[in-house]
Amino acid sequence: MTQFPLKIVTPDGLIFDGMAEELVVRSTGGDVAILARHVNYVTPLGMGRAVVVADGKRRTAACIGGMLSVVDGEVTLVPTTFEWADKIDVERAEAAYQRANKVLHDHSASDTDIKLAEAKLRRALIRKNIASYK
Amino acid sequence: MAGVSTKEIKNRIRSMESTRQITKAMEMVAASKLRRAQAQVLNSRPYFEILSDTISDIVATNREFSSPYLKARSGNRVMYIVIAGDRGLAGGYNSNILKLVQSRIQDKEATVLPIGKKAVDYFKSHNVPALTEQYAEAADVGIGDCFSIAKQLSRAFLAGEYDEIHVAYTNFVSVLSQVPDTRKLLPLVREEVAKDSGSTNGIEYEPDSEEVFAAIVPEYLGGILYGAICESRAAEQAARRSAMDSATQNADDMIADLSLKFNRARQAAITQEITEIVAGS
Repeated sequence: MTQFPLKIVTPDGLIFDGMAEELVVRSTGGDVAILARHVNYVTPLGMGRAVVVADGKRRTAACIGGMLSVVDGEVTLVPTTFEWADKIDVERAEAAYQRANKVLHDHSASDTDIKLAEAKLRRALIRKNIASYK
Repeated sequence: MAGVSTKEIKNRIRSMESTRQITKAMEMVAASKLRRAQAQVLNSRPYFEILSDTISDIVATNREFSSPYLKARSGNRVMYIVIAGDRGLAGGYNSNILKLVQSRIQDKEATVLPIGKKAVDYFKSHNVPALTEQYAEAADVGIGDCFSIAKQLSRAFLAGEYDEIHVAYTNFVSVLSQVPDTRKLLPLVREEVAKDSGSTNGIEYEPDSEEVFAAIVPEYLGGILYGAICESRAAEQAARRSAMDSATQNADDMIADLSLKFNRARQAAITQEITEIVAGS
């Protein structure tokens, strides 16, 4: 399959820099797949599963926030967090899930606390879910 | 007579030695913290660079819309996010960045968002209004905090509370050189790059350009802010390390000087005693 240059960078470092055949990410409007020779394209990212196909191998990751841009055939994925399925710390995700759940069941929690907990819960659920793909 | 002065010198040497021990220990601590901070800077730099390249690419190729984020305003209300340290004894690290900010905001109606205890204290004593003093511990500010600051500030910018938003940080050039710098975050500057036809054919935005921009700009600010904090932290440790290194060296010099004086005084005392004995017999 035709390849295209793909870069994935997060604040924790350069995750991927090389040629890829396909990239699937969850944007705010739903899943999008990018193949080689895609038109110039920019979209913000939602939270969800990302799939990178490179050298015929599929790798799954949890990808949260940030943006995707295609400029002149070069694809850049700039997420806030990006973790390959096999590197997700399931125990930590589970702990975050439990903590967030506790806040949500606490009737005295303030609105901002609940909003924060909801976001945390969603992230934890995605991590736990993606971890099962490895 | 001579005996008193040798005792005094001895005391001074002893106090100098304990000072030297402290500065040496601080240097070593800073050096190990610096290694960690340096690794973090190197990791986050590609993100920082690609993020700002991508944004300026989008801004440069965009012909279709004018986002409020792009519009320069004529007002005088500026917002400075100032990143300084929590502690002193870091050479010129804190004072350089604060001096730079002070010179920038002189004839403006400025609000600051100080990060780090030194910045909080400085602006409090200079009566510059601070948005919040929540971030008094620069060491504890994580990426989540950066994104919440970014969201809050971009909302305030859109609401028209500020005309410009800048970030003041210290650029970690190398272990020996740290340069204080400011960077304009909003409004985004459209760089008129004379690009070859390449990407002038426009970009497809999904769902639409304005929504994309509204979602991306806060992310961009958060990312840049986090990068600036990483740079500043590494710069702080580097500055402290070299300040403590030269303090240790100064202490060494003084100890050497004092030991020489001490030995001379001791020798003089002995000589005098001998002379007295010889003269007496």
